[in-house]
Amino acid sequence: MKHRCAFIVTIALITMLTLVPLGMVSADGHCEFADYTITLGGLAPMSAPGAVAGGVAMDWAFKQAAADINADCGVQIDGVNYMLEVITGDSEGSPERGQAVAERLILEDEVDGMVGVYHSAVGLATMGIMEENAIPTIFSEPWNDNVSANGIIEFDGAAPRFDDGIDHIFRISPASSMVGSVVTDWLIALGVEDVVLIVENTDYGQPAAADEQARLEAAGVTVSQIDVELGTEDFVPILSRIQASAEPPDAIRIVVTGETSFNLTQQMAELGIAPTPDTICVTNQIAFQHVQYWATVPDGNYCAFNRVGIIPSLFNDTAIELNAAYEAEFGDIVPSFGMASYDAVFMMVDAMERAGSYSDAAAIVDAIEASDILLSQGRYYFTYGSHNPDLPEGTPTFMWHQWPDPIVTVMQYFEQGQSSLEAAVVYPEVYQTHGTAYVVPGTSP
Amino acid sequence: MALFQRIEARVDAGIGRRRLGYALLALIVVYFLWFPNDTTQSNYAKTVFISGFFYAIMSSSWALLAGIAGQFSFGHMAFMGIGAYVAGLAARDGFAFLTPESVSSVGAIFIGTIVAGLVGLVIGWLLLRLRSAYLALFTIAFSELFRIVMLTEYDYTGGSNGLSLRPLLQIADVDTARQVEYYLMFALLIVCLLALYWVANSPVGLFLRAMREDEDAASALGVNVVRYKILVFVFTSMIVGLAGGIFYSDIGSERIIPEQLEILQMSLIIAYAVIGGMESLIGAAAGAFIARYLLEATREVVITLPFGLTMADGADAFVWEPGAWRYALFGLVMVLTLRFMRNGLLYPIITWFSGRDIVMKETVAKRESDEDHAARLEVGDE
Amino acid sequence: MIDAFLAWLLLAGPLWAVIGLWALPQVADKRKNDDEPSLSTLQVAGVVSGFALGPLGVGLYYLRPRWITRATLTIGLFVAVFISSQALVRIEDPNLPSIAWLILAGPLWSAIAAYLIPRRYRETEADDRNVLTAAALGGFAIGPLIIGLMWRDTPKISRDWMVVLGSLGAWQIYTLFALHNADNLCVAAPYHITYLAQQTANGVVIGCIYSLMAVGLTLIYSVQGIVSFAHGQLYMVGGYFSFYFLMHGSNLLSQLTGTEISINPLWGIPVAALIVFLMGAFFERMFLKPMHDGLIERVSEYAILITFGFGFVIEYTTLAIAGPFPQRTDRFIEVRRFTLPRTQVTDEFAFGPINIIGDRAFAMLVGIALIFALLYFLQRTWTGRALRATSQDRQAAAVTGINPTNMNTLSFGLGSMLAAMSGAALIPIFAWVPWVGAEMVGRSYVIVVLGGLGSVPGALVGGIIVGIVEALGAGCHPDPSRGAAYKEAFALVIFALVLLLKPTGLFGREQH
Repeated sequence: MKHRCAFIVTIALITMLTLVPLGMVSADGHCEFADYTITLGGLAPMSAPGAVAGGVAMDWAFKQAAADINADCGVQIDGVNYMLEVITGDSEGSPERGQAVAERLILEDEVDGMVGVYHSAVGLATMGIMEENAIPTIFSEPWNDNVSANGIIEFDGAAPRFDDGIDHIFRISPASSMVGSVVTDWLIALGVEDVVLIVENTDYGQPAAADEQARLEAAGVTVSQIDVELGTEDFVPILSRIQASAEPPDAIRIVVTGETSFNLTQQMAELGIAPTPDTICVTNQIAFQHVQYWATVPDGNYCAFNRVGIIPSLFNDTAIELNAAYEAEFGDIVPSFGMASYDAVFMMVDAMERAGSYSDAAAIVDAIEASDILLSQGRYYFTYGSHNPDLPEGTPTFMWHQWPDPIVTVMQYFEQGQSSLEAAVVYPEVYQTHGTAYVVPGTSP
Repeated sequence: MALFQRIEARVDAGIGRRRLGYALLALIVVYFLWFPNDTTQSNYAKTVFISGFFYAIMSSSWALLAGIAGQFSFGHMAFMGIGAYVAGLAARDGFAFLTPESVSSVGAIFIGTIVAGLVGLVIGWLLLRLRSAYLALFTIAFSELFRIVMLTEYDYTGGSNGLSLRPLLQIADVDTARQVEYYLMFALLIVCLLALYWVANSPVGLFLRAMREDEDAASALGVNVVRYKILVFVFTSMIVGLAGGIFYSDIGSERIIPEQLEILQMSLIIAYAVIGGMESLIGAAAGAFIARYLLEATREVVITLPFGLTMADGADAFVWEPGAWRYALFGLVMVLTLRFMRNGLLYPIITWFSGRDIVMKETVAKRESDEDHAARLEVGDE
Repeated sequence: MIDAFLAWLLLAGPLWAVIGLWALPQVADKRKNDDEPSLSTLQVAGVVSGFALGPLGVGLYYLRPRWITRATLTIGLFVAVFISSQALVRIEDPNLPSIAWLILAGPLWSAIAAYLIPRRYRETEADDRNVLTAAALGGFAIGPLIIGLMWRDTPKISRDWMVVLGSLGAWQIYTLFALHNADNLCVAAPYHITYLAQQTANGVVIGCIYSLMAVGLTLIYSVQGIVSFAHGQLYMVGGYFSFYFLMHGSNLLSQLTGTEISINPLWGIPVAALIVFLMGAFFERMFLKPMHDGLIERVSEYAILITFGFGFVIEYTTLAIAGPFPQRTDRFIEVRRFTLPRTQVTDEFAFGPINIIGDRAFAMLVGIALIFALLYFLQRTWTGRALRATSQDRQAAAVTGINPTNMNTLSFGLGSMLAAMSGAALIPIFAWVPWVGAEMVGRSYVIVVLGGLGSVPGALVGGIIVGIVEALGAGCHPDPSRGAAYKEAFALVIFALVLLLKPTGLFGREQH
């Protein structure tokens, strides 16, 4: 009897074991995929000295986008379904590595398109390679104005590197000049008279600060700038310097990223410099990662920050789903470059589907230029490109192949430990959620 | 059979081994020369090789400085940076009385090399008083200071956007350009290695080794310690300055960024040299080449399972993306190499081909027999 | 055009002076004649003529050594002073700010003094201890005057001398700041007193915290004679151990008791200390012991490399496990900041307010307490005395029955432990990432070298000095926009100078 029991159990187990995989196959197999797998190269900094935290989020976004697309029968071109794979290349934040990796992706892995890039230096260095090899590219995070700008001159005295136009490079992240204007407009609207800019001395910080300074000064605001090196931990001496000046500044704007900005904001709050009723504190978009922010800046209440990308109250279904998936993985809200990287993959796939080819670069580029697609960050389209080369006089060159309206807003926390989903959007007015342009510290809107 | 034995005998005699070694070396050189013509390889492979050559130069020159001369410097990357930055600035802003237009790309690299040598002269002179740990600390400070200044004075140096150097070559066709770049960098590696070997094998090299073992004794024996210490510093600084200038003139990369000068990057150079063998220049060069290749190849580890086995998720291969573990393991290899194979992982191979182990064995045997003889003599005396 | 010329002059004058310094003594070899001037005279002549008339002057003296007399030298000196003063007066052009004077003239005189004076002392067989440092400091502070004085009298350099010259040098820098920009917060009366006090307080607080880490480094050096290059990573990993202990400990306690409990970060310090002590001791046994057993050639190199590799492994292992996202624990105390309120001293002058961040003040107290605990351990317990005995004389210690091998392991474990403790003490204050150790360890090297490698009180004093220098440097740098970016660089400059001028540091043992 005993043996018999064991026998039946064994049979049952074997049946189950055989059936379970079968079930998986049948559940998965509702799409017929062609043999060819479409590959995209994703450039992201996955190891030091690059910004690893950013790279990890971007890598995740690439993989998530590919998984979502494949779950929906992959890339559909002329009635054929192709699997999509995004191969992440580690740029290490270095132009030299970035160039090599971009080349590897293009020549060895033979990718059909490129997405990603976090550091501007990598973006500038790799543009040439994509251009030479005619690979359609959508950058999702570099901010330097020259990335994707038309006819840029890399070396003074040399001929422009791309005198016949940059055909294959697109960008859906904002150019530095586009970001600064929102914060400065807000500050000017609030009527501030003097502003201290604390700026990291990197490819992101310096151009952004220069731009903000020019705008503020044009509006008659006194600006002083303080440079800091990324990785500095102790800012008390330099903050004491601000504190000691005859009158406290009306606003302190932090153009610093990563843990350095967290240290800076926290020490500013602890010293009682800002945010106070007299001094506005404006930090940058990484404060949007509220879990990280509150873990490292417990005193950061009432600090305003600029948000690049769509604001939580405007999250559409795609964004909500993406955010839920990101939160499940990292326990924090999805950063803008995560969303942009996710969208970039979808845009590329959409363009391939409309172009009816995954390999015809010219057709794909045309299709991207004609993009009109609603994704997690909103509607993507391009106003200035080869299909529409003549724009009004004075259009800056960086608008070439540049998504014209990445949403940039100013948000503000008004309760300690608040989720960024609940934070108040204070500027621009059209997006205001709490009907106020500034939550005065100590009050609630 | 007889023939085989004869070959074996000659191999054992050491001479044959050395010839075999040279033949192998020649084979490797020929392979490298032929490599760009391999149509199955893409341009990317050439890029990887170009940067491999560059790091081989860095690593082998560091081996001369640290391994043979015992000058444990962390400032090697900084000297490379001086070469590249000065070349870039000279070509962009002019140099002293030269206008930017009058400085060609080659001229700029030349200026960069000379300046790197001059700074090496000053630093080498300052370092005379310092030994081992102090020297390492001083060079770390120098290197960091240089990096911070390059990062902060962005009006001149471009800050973290980097400084782009005047391109050395103006070849429109990508394939031809890459081919030329490849041969250029390879030629530079060969020239540098020859120069390094020339120094290491000359009397100077002997003095350097003597100073490394015991500076006071060497000095007492009449070695001009000051001169040779400075000389080796200037020499290696110029080599890396030149390599930096050429590599960043759009050969390996079109811009130099301050992050390249971080201590982390320097530590990689050191690790390459340690793994390849600090006292063997070619070992260090090969170490850099191989270590970089392995670091690159292990970005994604794919082990295809045998016998049709599958993983839990149904995949037929075990896939692991090691990420930071790669470097952790690399560091572990470095530590273990240091502890258990001080002369580098390539040392046994190099010794075998050089036949040095036979000489050593013979020396030991001779010494033992001498001792036996002496012992016998003593017995005889009694 | 004139500015370019001046810049050239400033650069070229010293350049030719150095060339002259080298070239003229060659005369002595070439031209043997009876009334041959002494080597030192030739050197002075080289400097003066080079500075005054450039290649012309050097060439003149080279061809006509007879002309090297006191009279021509005096004339040359006048010309040199005249030319350099003319050059200095004209530097009002914003392209060449008066800071150029600091960069070119102070260090120039300093270098000249550092070159000449020790030679003079050796020649006259005077007591030449500390002469190099004094000459460099003096040259920087008072320029040619002090060179002349020291040349003539070769005074014995006491500690008083050093203090006086050091203060003069500091005053020199301060004056230059004032000359450069009268609105600089550090010099603009009357608030500058409060400002300097605030910055000094900032420096002292953070300096005491820095010291704790540096003490570990110095302890290892005093016993083993090696510098641990893994110190920054041990500091970093100490913070992470504290972080994970507090996180999991709090969760566990909360689950067990059913109420929200968060452990004070103070408890993370002993936990991190214990784990890292074991790590350090294990590493020492595995990798450093063979070095002392004589199994390894060229010990100093090996020690640098092996500790460096150890740090490398720790850093990347932590990165792989903890990820790149910044972390921080709760605060030690709920007080945000301590404020010394503003007091009106006279009608004109008010002192204060001075702010100190609460958690930092607490961490400073922890740091000081731990350093004193260590001193007590070293002075009063048998094991501590054994450690000190080993550091002073290994053989003698071994004879008295102390096992040097165990002392090595103990010292490395203790040193690593101190790094971990300072990490655990700082994680409530700074956002923590796996590469957080790099900046901190650089500073520790500066501190131990400044205080003297191997000296515990030296590390404490050095830490405070470095803290103050960084605070004042960042606070007083004439260009407010660059002050913070160069914060690290100020300490590195001190470091380089100490290494060059007085490698034994303030409290170090004299070299044998």
